[in-house]
Amino acid sequence: MITEYRTYLNPKKVYLPLTDTQSKIANVLVEVGDEVLIGQKVAEKYHGRVKSPILSTVSGEVVGFEERMDRYGKLTDHIVIENDQKNNTIPYPTYSEKATSGQVRKVISEMGLTKIAIDGLYTDLRFDAKSKFVVVNSIFVNEPFLSTDYDFVTQNSEAIADGIDLLNTAANGKTAYVIVDKYMPAEAMEELGKAIVDKNIELIIIDAKKLKGQDYKFIKSLVKETLHFDLLENGVIYTRVQAVKMIHDAVRNGTPPTTRQVSLTGDGLPVNAVYNVRIGTLFAELVEDLGSYTEVENMTLHIGSFLSGIELENDDFAITESVDAINVAEYRLVEEDVCIKCGDCNDVCPAGILPQNIMDAEIRNLSSRIVELNTNECVECGLCTYVCPSKINVLEWVRRGKRRVG
Amino acid sequence: MKFITKKPPIVMNSQRTYKKLFTLHFALIVVAIGTVVIKALSKVPETATYTSLDLAFKALAMLVLASVFSVVIEIFYALSEKNTQKFESYKGFVDPINTGLLIALLLPSTTPFYVLALAVFVGVYIGKLVFGGYGFYIFNPALVGVLFANISFNAQLALTNTPLELLKRAIGGESITFKTAELFLGNYNEIAIGSTSVILLALIFIYLLVTRVIDFRISGTFLITVLVITFGVGYINFYAPGDFSVVLSYVLVNMITGLTVFGAVFLISESVSSPTTRETKIIYAVVIGVFMMMVRTLGSQTEGLVFAILFGNMITPLINRTVKRSNAKMLVRTVIACVVIVLLVTVALGLIVQSRLPEVAAIVGGAF
Repeated sequence: MITEYRTYLNPKKVYLPLTDTQSKIANVLVEVGDEVLIGQKVAEKYHGRVKSPILSTVSGEVVGFEERMDRYGKLTDHIVIENDQKNNTIPYPTYSEKATSGQVRKVISEMGLTKIAIDGLYTDLRFDAKSKFVVVNSIFVNEPFLSTDYDFVTQNSEAIADGIDLLNTAANGKTAYVIVDKYMPAEAMEELGKAIVDKNIELIIIDAKKLKGQDYKFIKSLVKETLHFDLLENGVIYTRVQAVKMIHDAVRNGTPPTTRQVSLTGDGLPVNAVYNVRIGTLFAELVEDLGSYTEVENMTLHIGSFLSGIELENDDFAITESVDAINVAEYRLVEEDVCIKCGDCNDVCPAGILPQNIMDAEIRNLSSRIVELNTNECVECGLCTYVCPSKINVLEWVRRGKRRVG
Repeated sequence: MKFITKKPPIVMNSQRTYKKLFTLHFALIVVAIGTVVIKALSKVPETATYTSLDLAFKALAMLVLASVFSVVIEIFYALSEKNTQKFESYKGFVDPINTGLLIALLLPSTTPFYVLALAVFVGVYIGKLVFGGYGFYIFNPALVGVLFANISFNAQLALTNTPLELLKRAIGGESITFKTAELFLGNYNEIAIGSTSVILLALIFIYLLVTRVIDFRISGTFLITVLVITFGVGYINFYAPGDFSVVLSYVLVNMITGLTVFGAVFLISESVSSPTTRETKIIYAVVIGVFMMMVRTLGSQTEGLVFAILFGNMITPLINRTVKRSNAKMLVRTVIACVVIVLLVTVALGLIVQSRLPEVAAIVGGAF
């Protein structure tokens, strides 16, 4: 339950990771002692031929390079920039009403907006000849516990609608789709409905209380073919409203992505709050701003969606643009029972494969059977584990099967 | 303070296996109490030397003995394995008691206690513990015990004038009338003590469906299959122009007496020994329904459900191995195939009962 809205925009130092899960090579463009401005390119990272920049999120001096844990739990080099609190910004070009497809693509790649929503089925914002569908999610589908921030939708409905339109322009798509909840507040729905008039945007109304992978099913009915693990292969760009808002700001106002909304939840924290935070801030500083952790012996720290996020063993990491929610909760042991073969996981699987049978084959080391069961079509949504009454981590077994057969 | 990690997804829903077991436990206890009450209220023949309270006490003693003996066997097994941790809370006792109650409910009230004890031993030890306990067995343990008792102690468990037996004689040519109200109230020679209270079983059926302990795709398909086949066989054999009463009483006797409803509620949808995908669940239920009706109409046994479900358990690994994925196309295909099979079986059974199959075969053969 979110109780507060807070801002934390002036950290003393920011830490910007040079690599991520995909881009493993980085080319640093600054040296220790250089003065940088907000939005200045400090490094470039490469994923194959795709080059994406790392922008400074504060103005100040580069004080060094440090090896520390990033939000994926891996050790990476970080650029450390000391904030001089002057907030001098590099001017970026702005585009008026008629931004072309090429211009929007250029802004997105120049401002490093490719990786904003990464949990679950969300894709990077990369465009190629295949791109034709744009799907934007305004709620947490398949997400039992993170409550959606509807105030964000209400306040920024115009920007969101415009951002979707820009994204659609960039992807050369016909119609863009926005997924909304049947039971969302009438106010938010109304504002969104007003904003999307006269634009090629269609509302897809689903019931978010039922965890059945409805977004996946909708996209499947859209593309009419087997979905890949990465939806970009199917020509689908699937992202969240926060990313769309950032694109709107970047294209229309020339604002580089330097702040991010992060929701901090869980009983390990004294207050559950939505933070407007500077990218690169250490998470420990946010906890200090909130007070401290509650007095709990064993805790879990979970980043991102509950079904497809990751857990860290250390709170010493910096917020990046892809962090949307952090949960700190008391560790609760759930005992695993034997599989009673109820078949709930087979029923819920949105990809139409059979997790229980794959798990059975994996336990028995039957590689040919794992191939036969189309294990490679798994999209790792986590619903099979969510519905399991015996609390078996079915997804982990399916992952092992995938790894076994390549 | 320290951070503990585990692999995502970390959040699970509120369904728990032991909660399902507890719900089933509750339902079984309700049925057991209902059985005892019905026994106490039932009418006994005037020539009999026992009262209805004696019957009720016999039923109660059977239920208690079976559950206690089942628990004792499991505890001895746990002691021999040096793993008694399970029995520290009531959770560990739920499954043994369920099996014991099921075995007692599936045997007639004339069962001697030593037969009951042997049935429980075979069911729990050979049917369940040998395979590794709850979650690992391939045959429904209660049915293994009951089948053992039915085959080995045929004379001790012999029953006369059960409705299904009367029905078989009626097909042979005798004229027998059934009173519908008596059938619903359970006032007849029943094949098992648990199967009499149809109204109670129907309520329990709805309760278990709502709490998602049993699957409508299995139990419902099974009941529909039995309904269609009995209606077809009845229509072919007993239909007089404009008079459906005989057909309806044939359907009623097959549906509400015997183990049909009891099996649909407690036995056929038992999750461990049944298939896991929706297509195979439908196939499984149809196979059991067809097999049961074949035994009932053609076989020497009057009740075929025990054989049918054990046969279904037997083919479960096979049909589990045939599916590769689950999608709408496969579901439609399965449903159409099942409907065709059920209709063909209905016609064939009806004609066989009427001894007209050779005639029909001759006509069909003559066409070529």
